[in-house]
Amino acid sequence: MDATTIGQAVGQLKTYILDTIQHNTLLKYTGTPLLNEKQLFFLLLPKLNEEAWTEETTTSAMTVGIVHASLAEHDRIHETDATSKEQQLTVLSGDYYSGRYYQLLAQTGNVELIRKLSEAIVDRCEHEITVYEREGRYFQDWVKALSVIETALIERFFYVYRFDSYLEVMQEALTAARLNRELEALIKGEPSVYVNCMQFSLGEQPVGEALRQEISRRKQIVTAILEASTYNEALKQAIVDIVS
Amino acid sequence: MEKMKLKLLYADLKSDIEVIEKELETALNSSSHLLNDASLHLLQAGGKRIRPVFVLLSAKMGRYEIDRVKHIAVPLELIHMASLVHDDVIDDSEMRRGERTVKAQWNNRVAMYTGDFIFARALEHVTVIEHPRVHQILARTMVEIVNGEVIQIEDKFRLDQNIKDYFRRIKRKTALLIESSCELGAIVGEVEPENVRRLKRYGYFVGMSFQIVDDILDFTATDKELGKPAGSDLLQGNITLPALLLKDDPHVRPYIDKAIEGTLTEEERKELLKLVRKSNAILEAAKISDKYLKKALKEVEALPPHPMKKKLRDIALFMGKRKF
Repeated sequence: MDATTIGQAVGQLKTYILDTIQHNTLLKYTGTPLLNEKQLFFLLLPKLNEEAWTEETTTSAMTVGIVHASLAEHDRIHETDATSKEQQLTVLSGDYYSGRYYQLLAQTGNVELIRKLSEAIVDRCEHEITVYEREGRYFQDWVKALSVIETALIERFFYVYRFDSYLEVMQEALTAARLNRELEALIKGEPSVYVNCMQFSLGEQPVGEALRQEISRRKQIVTAILEASTYNEALKQAIVDIVS
Repeated sequence: MEKMKLKLLYADLKSDIEVIEKELETALNSSSHLLNDASLHLLQAGGKRIRPVFVLLSAKMGRYEIDRVKHIAVPLELIHMASLVHDDVIDDSEMRRGERTVKAQWNNRVAMYTGDFIFARALEHVTVIEHPRVHQILARTMVEIVNGEVIQIEDKFRLDQNIKDYFRRIKRKTALLIESSCELGAIVGEVEPENVRRLKRYGYFVGMSFQIVDDILDFTATDKELGKPAGSDLLQGNITLPALLLKDDPHVRPYIDKAIEGTLTEEERKELLKLVRKSNAILEAAKISDKYLKKALKEVEALPPHPMKKKLRDIALFMGKRKF
């Protein structure tokens, strides 16, 4: 196992997903579905660490990626104007990917994963919509919301396949990676709606500093997990790369 | 009057429909106040609940247990509701059933989260049923509905389309979900396979007739009855059956062109409605709807003797002859 093998595995999963949800009209107007390679890596982490893994597990991992792609499409819808053909089809691409993930799991008869992923989507929607319910929330509530957005679906996948031992490292690393992205956007002068919400909750305290502290805390946790783990060096390095 | 008729038709199912209504409300319960408000806003706007009713009626042809059947009836209505919330974003609709849409009341993003939330709740609900075929049928239906909507967007503002294009579109847009309501209700009710197929075809034919009537009413009903301006479909670029039948009429065509270009004035909209209403196209479209209705009734006749047959017939006739 080395960095190349890891990259190939992630690339292969990505290709499988893109092939499965390919739709010519949607592709033409809305572009390639959005897939986060960091999330794909964590979906594959148990396999890369040589846990029992079958073709059916690969299909299930693909469906998690498809749900991420579906919700990412809907995140691209403008708040006030979605009248362009591209935006209209972006709504439908999210719906189409949703239907496809359900279809794949229905074909394999994996009703438990359908239920768990549905729960995760509910959880995610409930956290995403909090940006329109800012009052009375703390900085940590926004961190939690981002953490749920990044990890809830993978968490349910790990739960169904009894990969619980990978849960903590996945949650800490993907949350840290997301917070890193938020910090970078803030530094560029393009804060996201979540960072604006964080600043709203913090009042006078600078949000950049709060983000740095949170990222640093989570990186320390990831480092501690990796030190105690038996993952091979390539996997450890891949996780370190994700959080840095 | 129409609402009264519907109430009478549903009278035998009243207690079961109440169960469905309660379940819908429970299913939409959320820890987010905003999601709660948006979902309940939609639920309280009402609707005919035709999909759950078809599930119940089809299941009654076999072994009927409301506690099992509700896990099909509720998700089908939720899927329908979720697609309406997203459709309103696509169509930029301000009003539905006389109420402000979720996207108008809040914004497009809230509508996207609300639709995704309702859709996920639907799937959570249906997973109580472990039967893989149920999920395969439902999943296929959902994919095909979206495919139908993609086609609808591609066909928008296109006057060179034909009636076949229209049928292809409404099959996916409406008929499939009603077809699946009947088929899934029958499967969960453990109806004989041959009769599952009959009920499935019945649902398809009723669905086709239902959508044609809906498209006729978009021209013939009043703004008040529709809860939105009459002729909205055409104004949004959706070329429905009456418009297709009239597109070559020299008196109507200039108005259709203006509607498609988005330059139709309020006065011209009223004039267009007048012309459409007194044209043969409405009658012709109604005849096509009747053909589907007859096919639906033929499927009912072929079912074995059962008290529900009359109800299936009556509901089909109501859907095909309704005035709102």
